[in-house]
Amino acid sequence: MISDRLKEVILKELELKEYDLKDETIASEVPGWDSLNHINIILAIEKAYGIKFKGLEILKAKNIGDLQKLIDSKNPL
Amino acid sequence: MPQAIDFQKLLTLLTFDRHDPLLFGSSLFLFFFLFVLIVQRLFSNQKALRIYSLLFFSLFFYYKAAGIYLFLLVFSSGFNFYFGKLIYTRKTAFQKKIVFIIALLVNLGLLGYFKYTNFFLQILSDLKLGTIEPLQIFLPIGISFFTFKALSYVIEIYMEMLEPVKSFRDFSLFIFFFPNVLMGPIDRASAFLPQIEEDNPITKEDVGRALFLISCGLIKKYAIADYISLNFNERVLDYPLRFTGVENLIAVYGAALQGYCDFSGYTDMALGVGLLLGYKLMDNFNRPFKAISVADYWRRWHLSLSTWLLGYVFKPLQISLRSLRKFGTAIAIFVTFFAVGLWHGPNWTFIFFGVLHSFFLIFGMFTQSIRKTITDKLKITGTKFHHFIKWFFTFHLLVLTAILFHSPSLQYTINMIQQIFTYFHPEVFPQFVQAYTTVFILIVFGYLVHFLPASVEEKAQNLVIKMPIVFQAILFAVIIWIVVQFKSAAMMPFIYFKF
Repeated sequence: MISDRLKEVILKELELKEYDLKDETIASEVPGWDSLNHINIILAIEKAYGIKFKGLEILKAKNIGDLQKLIDSKNPL
Repeated sequence: MPQAIDFQKLLTLLTFDRHDPLLFGSSLFLFFFLFVLIVQRLFSNQKALRIYSLLFFSLFFYYKAAGIYLFLLVFSSGFNFYFGKLIYTRKTAFQKKIVFIIALLVNLGLLGYFKYTNFFLQILSDLKLGTIEPLQIFLPIGISFFTFKALSYVIEIYMEMLEPVKSFRDFSLFIFFFPNVLMGPIDRASAFLPQIEEDNPITKEDVGRALFLISCGLIKKYAIADYISLNFNERVLDYPLRFTGVENLIAVYGAALQGYCDFSGYTDMALGVGLLLGYKLMDNFNRPFKAISVADYWRRWHLSLSTWLLGYVFKPLQISLRSLRKFGTAIAIFVTFFAVGLWHGPNWTFIFFGVLHSFFLIFGMFTQSIRKTITDKLKITGTKFHHFIKWFFTFHLLVLTAILFHSPSLQYTINMIQQIFTYFHPEVFPQFVQAYTTVFILIVFGYLVHFLPASVEEKAQNLVIKMPIVFQAILFAVIIWIVVQFKSAAMMPFIYFKF
């Protein structure tokens, strides 16, 4: 389940008003989420949650659900 | 009276000859492949025998092209199978990293030794750092392709995207598989290995699709690429200053089409041959000349290489340099495209090609918002006109840089561009059409088919799939007849063999 907070960070970075982000949504499906914006989104998430990802962790995330799990594992509360 | 079989000649035909690999489309390959299909059919109910026989035929196919260097292919298979397991079973991230680095160094070290040693010796010599005579190094054909294929396996295991395969037999088939061992596509273990496991039967649809693909491949390679190359492109590319600008420009269009038809023709045949053996290989092309930006082009051209570099070079680099934002991405683009150039071979023209493309992409990235502002002000953003302008610029950038692949040296490319801009002479065009009518028709036909909507190709493919087998056979015979009419006595090797 994607948290509202993560949705907000992603949509704000992509300048999207509304988009239904689900666990199985992949980056290329979301308007504007290309390889250049990918980095901005990762940086925005790191800043919003005050966490730091390892390169391999991000590469392994196949969809937004994986990204959410990764954030949860770093920020259990 | 039936003639006795000349065993000596047969033996010569089956022995390694670096100048005579088993080219798709040659009569020897046709006999070889028919024999392979018969054996596969005989063992249709014995999976193990089918795979072992396919391994044997694949090794023979590679031996015919590379001789003793067959052992390099076998080594690559054994080494990467073992190291895949070794990475997976290490307990700590540090141990995994060390084993992974060793695997990378060995794979790239071998590729580097065979492909780039003399290039670096030449650089040392040019920089006056010493004069070392070039070494006699045989370049094992297909080494760039099978090394990258094997590397994808260890990289995906290291990235925890794949578990090591249990069977060495199955892994070897992935590495040796003859339809893609010499010139790709650079298939991924994660897509190929499950097909061996599943062992799905070959359907009527697969056969129809394979015939369609092989027919397209034959036409692209022999009726278009080779014909326009031998009869026009080569003449201009070898002596650009002897021709007017208009002829040079047509040769630029022709050479780009030739490169595409040669490589995508080979890929079509590889895909078709793979399908007839029960394996679906990765497609490599999606109408690259329809691209409306250089980034779009790399999502359409040599996909098995571009997605490889995107996943294993660009993305890891971009992520590790993310604190630099756009500048980090620019560095990642530069390194990736330098690798694209270098992968194609030890030649400055290829490196220049890669670097040039990286500049196009970096320039595009940094000017994205400025360009958007301009087109917004002009009220053309998203219009058909805007689309056309983007396509027109992209297409010409692509065909002009593609010349680097065909020219003997940078100077020839400069000469061609100079002729186009300083000695155009459009009045020569009617004479060109008169003198090279077939070449002209083939270039126009090649591009026309390329720019047709994808749905037309789909419909044509479905038509072939639904045809009764007798009609399919007749159609295939007609295609072969057409190809024979075009085929020159001396066969042209596929351009991508040299990579």
